[in-house]
Parts: sequence; structure tokens; C-alpha cells
Amino acid sequence: MEQNIGPVAGPAGLYVHIPFCLGKCSYCAFVSWPCRRPPAGYPAALLSQARQLAALPWSRQRCFTTIFIGGGTPTMYPAAVLNELLAELRQLFAISPAAEISLEANPDTLRPELLAELRRGGFNRISLGVQSFTDELLQKIGRRHDAVGARQAVAWARQAGFANLNLDLIYGLPGQSRRQWAADLAVALELAPEHLAIYQLTPEEETPLGRAVAAGELVLPDQDLCAEFEQDARRSLLTAGYEHYEVANYCRPGYACRHNLNYWHNGSYLGLGAAAVSCLAGLRLMNVASPGRYRRLLAAGRAPYAEAEALGLAASFRETVIMGLRLRRGLRLAELEQRFALTPRHYYGTILDELIAQGLLVMDHERIALSERGFALANQVLHRLV
Amino acid sequence: MKNIRNFSIIAHIDHGKSTLADRFIQLCGSVSDREFKDQLLDNMDIERERGITIKSQTICLPYQAADGREYVLNLVDTPGHVDFSYEVSRALAACEGALLLVDAAQGIEAQTLANLYLAMENDLEVIPVINKIDLPAAEPEKVALEIEEDLGLEAERIQLCSAKTGKGVPELLEAIVKFLPPPEGDPDQPLQAMIFDAQYDSFRGTIISCKVANGQVKAGDQITFYSNGISHKVEEVGHFRFKKEPAKALAAGEVGYIIAGIKNIADAQVGDTITLKDNPCAKPLPGYQPAKQVVFSSIYPVSTEDYEDLARAMEKLTLNDASLTFQKDSSSALGFGFRCGFLGLLHLEVVQERLEREFGLSLILTVPSVNYHVYLNDSTMVEVDNPAYYPDPGSIQRVEEPYIKATIMIPERYMGAVMNLCMERRGVNSNHHYPMPGRIEYTCELPLSEVIYDFYDRLKSLTQGYGSFDYEILDYRAGDLVKMDLLVNGERVDALSQLVHRDNARARGLSACEKLKDEIPRHMFKIAIQAGIGGNIVARTTVSAMRKDVLAKCYGGDITRKRKLLEKQKAGKKKMKTVGNVEIPQSAFLAVLKSDEK
Repeated sequence: MEQNIGPVAGPAGLYVHIPFCLGKCSYCAFVSWPCRRPPAGYPAALLSQARQLAALPWSRQRCFTTIFIGGGTPTMYPAAVLNELLAELRQLFAISPAAEISLEANPDTLRPELLAELRRGGFNRISLGVQSFTDELLQKIGRRHDAVGARQAVAWARQAGFANLNLDLIYGLPGQSRRQWAADLAVALELAPEHLAIYQLTPEEETPLGRAVAAGELVLPDQDLCAEFEQDARRSLLTAGYEHYEVANYCRPGYACRHNLNYWHNGSYLGLGAAAVSCLAGLRLMNVASPGRYRRLLAAGRAPYAEAEALGLAASFRETVIMGLRLRRGLRLAELEQRFALTPRHYYGTILDELIAQGLLVMDHERIALSERGFALANQVLHRLV
Repeated sequence: MKNIRNFSIIAHIDHGKSTLADRFIQLCGSVSDREFKDQLLDNMDIERERGITIKSQTICLPYQAADGREYVLNLVDTPGHVDFSYEVSRALAACEGALLLVDAAQGIEAQTLANLYLAMENDLEVIPVINKIDLPAAEPEKVALEIEEDLGLEAERIQLCSAKTGKGVPELLEAIVKFLPPPEGDPDQPLQAMIFDAQYDSFRGTIISCKVANGQVKAGDQITFYSNGISHKVEEVGHFRFKKEPAKALAAGEVGYIIAGIKNIADAQVGDTITLKDNPCAKPLPGYQPAKQVVFSSIYPVSTEDYEDLARAMEKLTLNDASLTFQKDSSSALGFGFRCGFLGLLHLEVVQERLEREFGLSLILTVPSVNYHVYLNDSTMVEVDNPAYYPDPGSIQRVEEPYIKATIMIPERYMGAVMNLCMERRGVNSNHHYPMPGRIEYTCELPLSEVIYDFYDRLKSLTQGYGSFDYEILDYRAGDLVKMDLLVNGERVDALSQLVHRDNARARGLSACEKLKDEIPRHMFKIAIQAGIGGNIVARTTVSAMRKDVLAKCYGGDITRKRKLLEKQKAGKKKMKTVGNVEIPQSAFLAVLKSDEK
């Protein structure tokens, strides 16, 4: 896994946000707009921003090792549009020949021809938001596909030649039992994805689900049951040969998502599209959230940013530590010191000793990482280090 | 003097007192619409939010009556809660008449009666007013009958109105002029003026609200407070229009304000008599009592560094609130703070809210306590209002606690529930009668400690809002009391100790443990919560260890947001008090007294 992680200063990632979906799931707090057909002018706006960013000396000095087209539901657009977009990006940026090029997709938008065309267009990793294989639960959270559709999508992706495939699964769904979760895990393993992202459902305040939970209309499984779900997942996936390499991510050896590893290393990346975030060596820029405004700003030749953030050295160090601790292997002390001229030992002092004494954190001369117990209680550690 | 009417409105909470006052102000044109805010007289945020009056306000209304003459109507507003009944009695003493406001749908309530008795004690003329006649559930005829038959007030004086719509209000103003007497008093006698309120203004010092009974007072006079002999030179006197309006003098019969460079509001005690230093009156006006605190609690800053800020805030607050007392206190669990005395629980809550809101402090209040008389074996008596300082049980001969007489007015159907509640709270000598058909006036003697926390809330919920409650302090009586400590992971938290009756100790202990269990968040280890008396554990619960606390996903787009969530979690911890290695939230300290909803 280690050899996939490039040096932090040099390479960068490229993210493209497609903020459109056929419908909005009740738990979704992402920037996405439900529509039957996505706006035809949006890809052109993406390319305008790509040209703006590509003109920066910063970008010209970078080799991009990963591209991730996420959403929303990128596959709302025809394959030709996505392939064209990818081709244009290759023209504008230096993309490494071995780049990981991921595409996010919802099973409800997939067809065999579409997948085959995307594979031919150069996408080499696909991430499917299946969430569950239990139809009753899928309906409850407003997903528009069923278990049969999800299995079908995996089969089609394989037929199309995707040899690097991720499935998203969610636990902690309303009324979910351990038996149902075990069945979900069994189906997932049977489909043998290279990568699994396993999340606990988070009731975000501003979502219909969050409001229903706050109003007491909906009861989610409690902390103890969720801890069981998590352990069930961990047990069966480790037994099946997966590595638990990040808080919510598992992979077959060598298949960690390189694009996301760059985020957890607090590396540099460019973000194209409404609400996408770019991080240029510590300067973070967030694009406007509205796709309409995004298009208008770019059409007028202006920069589409809504917010910017530049953290000081110490704050940036802390942020890098809390991001890096999400990884099972944690952070390399030498690398931290090289980047920030700071070490956790000196910076955090006794807090570090307390966390180590509590058995939540482990540190040797080479690395600092969460302990196995600390992994489930990560926030208890991270909020003290933030 | 013939054209002055000093009056007050007495009413149960929510019967529309403030709305009626607003209507008067509008009709008499003393406020422009731009200045007019609903419920104008309740001018503290907290008062407006809770819809109750805590500080008295007075307003002077110029009124041209149907007889063509100009009248001055002084509306003396009174606090509307049982905690403040002494202040109510003083405000009433400044008046010659009162409007007894009764809700047309709800009829007479305990507090209405209690205030009516206060009005009668002060020899006020009473005009019964039936309000809210616009409500669909209004039964003015039935309420009128209650007023006539049960209260013995004259039926022909009854006024009907809707303060909300304004209907009947002009007629009511006429009735005030017609039925209420003008003040009496001799302007040539030595000055006698009664203080019925005092407020602090940071520019002018204490502003005294008073009623001049005899004599007169003007700028330049040297005045003396009768109870403490302190003298001040008068800077300004005047009347309360919408703003304070200076006048040459306040003469017998008039209600107004005095500003005399008084730095310490506690010098100007409600009920005290003001006279002239050079020409003092022979004796004070009757009825003065020093403010009596009955509920005690300690206030601590959540963060010990905020102690200095709290100290400054307490001083500023007491400038404006003469009935709050405080002195330094310390707790092994909570550090340095202040032991405070309050007139009642509502007063406590108001003080807490003002400290938090006006001074931005984050506070912990300890379990409220009453003042106990502890008789020791050497037959000396010590007063204990803080369980942390309870003497060693071996040295105690007996303990006495304050009792109250509770008067509860309820519709008949709630009798059983209310009796049970009072029995649970160690009530004795209960009595009831039917002041009117279908309604019960239930009286009962209760230890004050049993009502200070949530008695009123429980009563309201048991009676679906129909029960009303009033109390007076009776005396001290012996009780079999023991000190109950709460232990969190084996460590005694002194701020959570309380005195309980021996028979209830186990049940109280269990309930307190359960409450704490709900309040204390899970930690990374198991937390034992125990209630103990002396060395014996009488109840115990456990907060199980936290098993999971992790943000599900975090990618490039939400690094900033997730970081901010963690920062928020970190800030949240600062609002908790660490005892041993357990973080206890603010709310836990008051929650332990709450009884279970049944």
C-alpha cells in the first residue's frame, strides 16, 4: 500500500464535481440538485475553470496522479460528455500515465454500453453507491435502486473491464438489524470489490432525515448497536483479506484509493465544479455552491470562488495531524517534521502522553497513529489535537 | 390631589395584565406608536420572553374624562409571581384602588385571590374587570357570578373588556375615575414617602419609585431613609411618563421618582419610608420588612479563570437587584464561586439568565437549598443554607426546616392528583373547601425544601395548567433530615449534596442517580454514580463506556467543515466541569433535584 503514496509536495489530485442527481436521498447533505436531465452548459463551465487553473504556474509545475469525477451522479451525463471532459483535462494538465481515474456512479443510472464506453474513454476505477442490499432499507432512505439493480451494476462494470471497483455501504439505517447488516456484508463480499467504503449513517441537521431524527419521528440504531455493526464489518472484511486502511475504508492490498489518500495526507489538489474545493499548497479555495452562479461567473471570465482559507503553519500542522490519523498507519514523523518543522511530541506535549496512556494513540520513533480502540473513538482523540 | 388616581392591576399570570396596561397607554396617548412595543411595561428581555413582570414599573397616564376634567392616572405595575409577594404588597400600598383582572374563560385563580387579599389589607377600592371577553370560551356571566357571590364584590361595578381588541377599555378608564378614590394626605406635614421600587441607572445612580403620603419633596432637599438613617441630597424628582419627566416637586398623593445620587441600591429598601433630614416625620409608614432570602444556591463559573468576571458581574447585577445577596464560596469540586440568596426559584432562574445573557458567562448553579436551623448537642444553633457545610451528624441534636402554607386552587377533578403530590412532598394539615362550585381551594403545610425546585411545574403539568399556587412562610419545624452525597466514580461532588428526609432518602438517591446518568455523557470508561448517606450507599447507576465516536467520512470537500466540527466538540468540552476525570455538564447540577414525571 505504501508504494502508492507519492511524495506529498510534488504530485496533486484533480477533482471534478457533478452536482446533479435524479433525486435527493433523505440523508444527503452534499451539494447536489435533483433534476431529470443535467444542464448541458455545465461541462463547458468546468472546462473554463480548468483553463483558469491550468494557467497558474502552480498547476504547470505539478504532475496530476489522480482524477476523481464525483457527485452528485456524474453518470447523469452521457459517456461521451464525460470522456470528452477527461480528454480535455488531459490536454490542459500533466496527467501521469499511471493515473488513477475514478468515476462515481449510482446504480440507477448505469447501462452496460455506458460503462463500456467510459472504460474505453480512460476511466479505470469505478465507485458505486449501493449503500445496502436490503430493499426495505434502501427505500427508507430514499434510494432509487434495489439490490438486484446494484448486483447488475457490478456485473456490468466488470464486463466493461473495470478491474478496480469500490462499493459504498452504509450502516446504522433506521430499523436496521445485525442480521440484515450481516447479509449486506455477505453480498458485498460475494461481489468481491477491490475497495469498500463503509460509513455510519450521519443524520445531518439540514437533511430531511436529520430533521426527522431530531423531531423523534425516526429512531436510528444506538451507539452500542452501531459499534456492533462496525465490528461485524471489520471482522468479516479482515477475514476476507481486506485491509482497514482508513476509518471508513477497506481495500484489497494495493487498492487503496490514491485520490483520497492525498486528502488524508492533506496534500494539494484542484477542485472543479460547483462547491468543489481546491487546495494549493495550503491555500484552500471553495467554489460557489450554485451551479447556475458557477456557470455565470465563469462565462463572465471571473473566478468562481465563494470562500478562501489559508491556515497558519501551526493550524495547518494540526489539521494535517487530524487528517493523517484517520489512516490506519497514521503519519510518518519525519515527513511531518520536514513539512512543518514541528513534531507532535514537542507541539502537543502532555496531551499526547495522556492519549497514549489512555490507550488511544500509539507512537514510536517512526510513526504516530490511532490504536485499534482509538480508531472507533477517533473524535475523542482528534478534538484534543485539532 | 382630587384629580389623581393611583391604582394597580392585580391578576393571575396570563390573564392579560400587560396587554391591558399597553391599551391604557395607547388610549391616553402618552406613547407614540413608534415608541410603542407590545407589553411595554415588561422591559427586561427575560420578562418579555416569559411574559411575567419581575420589576415593578409605573406609568403616569394623563386622561381627559367625560366630565371634561383632566386626570392623572398612575398605574403602578406589580410583579406577577409568588416569589415577589412582598414587593406586590408594597406596590399596592402605594395605591388607593385596584383593578382585579379575571380571565373570562378561566375564572378566579389562587394568585388572584392572594392579591385581592393583599389589596383588601391595604384598604384599596377594587373594580372587578372581566377580560378576554372576545375568546370563544369566554363565560363572562359565570365569572361575574363568581365575583359577586364568592368574592363578595359589587356586581354593578364589574367591567367587561377585551384588552386585546380594546373593547370596553374606554369605559374602564371612566370607571377608574368614577369608582376609585383620590389619594389623601397632608402636604403641610413632614415628608413621608414610601419606596415601592428602586432601579439602578449607570448614569444617575439609584432611581427610587415612591408614593408621597404626606408632605412634599423637591430637588435640593436632604432626604433620609427611615430604616437605616442614610441621607442623600435630592438631585431630581419627577413623574413617570413614557420617559422620566422632571417636576418641581412631588407632593402628598403623588407617585413619582427621586434621584439622589444613591450609589448603592441596597440603601433604598422596598417598603422603607423616606423623610426629610431637617424635618423628619414622627414615625415611619407601616409595613416595612427587610428583603428575606429563602432559597440559596452557589454560582460557579464553568471555567475557573472566569471567577473575576463573575465577581464583577455579581456586583453589577446587585446594583439593580437589591434582593439578591451573595458572598464568596468555594467547593472542592467547582473551585471559587458565590453563595447567593434568592427570594425564590424564579428569582434564581432570572439571576442565572441575566448573568449568562448580559455578562456572557457560562455558569454552574448548585442544588438549591433552604435555610436550616441545626441545633447542636451543646444546644447552640447554627444556620445552614449550604449542605456542604452541614455539621457532623454525631454533633447534631435536631434539625429544623422552614415550612410554608401552600394555597392551591384547582378544578375539582384534579383534587386526587394534587393531594398525592403534596403527600409525596411531605405535606401535612391539608384542608380544602369549595370557594365556588367545581373549584377547590386546597391548603397544605409543606416543607419549603420540597417546593423550591419543581413543585410548581409539576402542579401545572398534573393539572394541565389549571392549578394555581401561592404560598407564605409559616415557621420552622423539626424534621428527620439526613445529608445525601452523590459520588461520581467514587469521588464525592460537594456541589451535588442535598438534605433529604430519611424516609425518602433511598428514592431520592435513586432518582438523582438516574438524572445524573442521563446528563453525564458517555466517557471512554465506565462511570459509577452513587448516592450515599454517611458511609452507606443507598443507590447506584452506571454510565457505560463510550464505544464509538468517529466522523464517518472526510474527503477534500469537507476538510474545513470536519475540522470545525472537531473544534466545536472541543469547545463543548469547555462548558463541562471536570470532577476527578469525569466531565459533568452544567445542566446536571440542577437536574438532580427534578422529580420523575409520572
